[in-house]
Amino acid sequence: MIRLLIVDDHPAMRAGLTAVLRAEPGIIPLGTASSEEDLIPTLNRTKPDVVLLDYHLPGADGLKLCRRLKRAVPAPAVLLYSAYADGAMVVPAILAGADGVLNKSAPAPELFDALRAVARGDRVLPPVPRELLEAAGTRVDPEDLPILAMVVDGTPVVEVAEALRVEPIDVSRRLDVMIERLRVEIAAV
Amino acid sequence: MTGRRGERERDRRALPALRGSQRWFALLTMTRLLGAVLAIALLLAHRVTHHDPILALVTLAWTPLSLLLLGRTQDAPWAPAIWALDACAAFALVLAGGDWRSPFYTFALTTLVLPATSLPWRKAVAWGLTFSLAYGIVALLTEKLPDDTLTNTIRLETLATHLFVPVIVTTTLAYSSLLLERLRTARGQSERLALQAERQRIAWELHDSAKQRVHAAHLMLTALDGAVAGEQGRLLVDGAIGELRAATSDMETSVAELRTPLDGRPVDELLRERAKELSRTGVARIDVTGRLPVLPPLVAAHTYRIAAEALTNAVRHAGCQAISVTLADGADAVTLTIADDGVGMPAQPRPGGHGLRSMRGRAETIGAELHIGPGPGGRGTAVALALPHPGGSP
Repeated sequence: MIRLLIVDDHPAMRAGLTAVLRAEPGIIPLGTASSEEDLIPTLNRTKPDVVLLDYHLPGADGLKLCRRLKRAVPAPAVLLYSAYADGAMVVPAILAGADGVLNKSAPAPELFDALRAVARGDRVLPPVPRELLEAAGTRVDPEDLPILAMVVDGTPVVEVAEALRVEPIDVSRRLDVMIERLRVEIAAV
Repeated sequence: MTGRRGERERDRRALPALRGSQRWFALLTMTRLLGAVLAIALLLAHRVTHHDPILALVTLAWTPLSLLLLGRTQDAPWAPAIWALDACAAFALVLAGGDWRSPFYTFALTTLVLPATSLPWRKAVAWGLTFSLAYGIVALLTEKLPDDTLTNTIRLETLATHLFVPVIVTTTLAYSSLLLERLRTARGQSERLALQAERQRIAWELHDSAKQRVHAAHLMLTALDGAVAGEQGRLLVDGAIGELRAATSDMETSVAELRTPLDGRPVDELLRERAKELSRTGVARIDVTGRLPVLPPLVAAHTYRIAAEALTNAVRHAGCQAISVTLADGADAVTLTIADDGVGMPAQPRPGGHGLRSMRGRAETIGAELHIGPGPGGRGTAVALALPHPGGSP
């Protein structure tokens, strides 16, 4: 059983997702939230396994919320759900700790599979094209490049910190800075 | 209401751009008529020469004739030759008067208006200096040596004034013209920015609201997969899903269009860029040959989208190795041909494939002829677009 929380600012999307996911065996939508303020109390009350998170929310972007969700204990799996067609958001999504990224134009069975996969602990991320990673590399601080490379490779933050002999909180801070830098491009879309 | 107001506003804004050169011509007409009246009045009031009435008649005839000639040739590339001719005619009148302190001086000054306001400012100032120099020569040719020093001083002073005024007039006019031009550029820029902001807003609304609803509907329909019984029902659902996908891709195109309009860049340059982008995917080699003339903005936008869609189709569906884009600026029509060496058109259109329909719609909008069929020698697909020539009647 996958206990799921849906976060999307658009009513049509919330209603559609709830209806579709309720009908799918093995997935239980616990509730919906439309904003950051909405999300935190619902999260504390329902303790979901998976959060299906819209990338663009009013007042807060999905990346920041994703970071926040992944800091919760126990942290839910997060599937970023986005209407952006391009792959530019995959790198920042990985840095934000998202377990998966899915385009909103994907058919329902693909959504079900992605939700099951992230609930199992798998990552559902499209392969990061070389050019995209290189482009991201030019936008971050050169000293952050090792962190970028390791995180994109799937190394957990704690292990990155160990490898670099720094505190995990420092790695976290660097990640925040990198997300902020990479985010600009997406916001301008 | 707002539409009509918007139109009126646009008309008002379009005026200065249209009238920039006409305004300077109006100044020329005004000053030249004034100069002619002044010259004729002086000729008739004072006895200047033995042939004053003839000179007055010549002035009367030459003034409208010169204005007509200057007006007709104002925008021609060889207009400076006409301006020089005009100046020579004025100098001839001065010489005919027999004295550099001539009733035709003001008249001669008016020959500076068009060069000063049309030429780049450095050339304009050079023109003014040349005028002064030429006037100095005329003065030397018509000078009668004075007897005493006082008269001499007064003469020299008057001559200096005569020689300085053209330079001052030219510099002032050139400077005003430059300022007006800059003002117009700045206004154009701010208008473009406002338009850009509005486009961004519409793009955002399309993306944020309409597209989300379409996504929701698409998701719900795809969830029906397997739940719908019967061939008929499944066909309907598949059809609806195809339509929704097409709607999403239409919206993406519109959003992309709104966000990156052509911005006045030439279509052939953009097409070469797009071809390079698509070549990089490694599917097919794309060669672009020839060039296009400058097209009006709307025609340019649709032409580019039609060609870009044809290129995308060829790369995605034709299974081809090479695509050739041929651009030609013919005498009657501007043509674009996009030919590939792929599998050719499918007998049945692809479900949800609205590309061809939208290409036809665009072509119709701009009054162009679109022909889609087998490529040369019956291989592949060729898309040919023929636009009426932009230089022809509107």
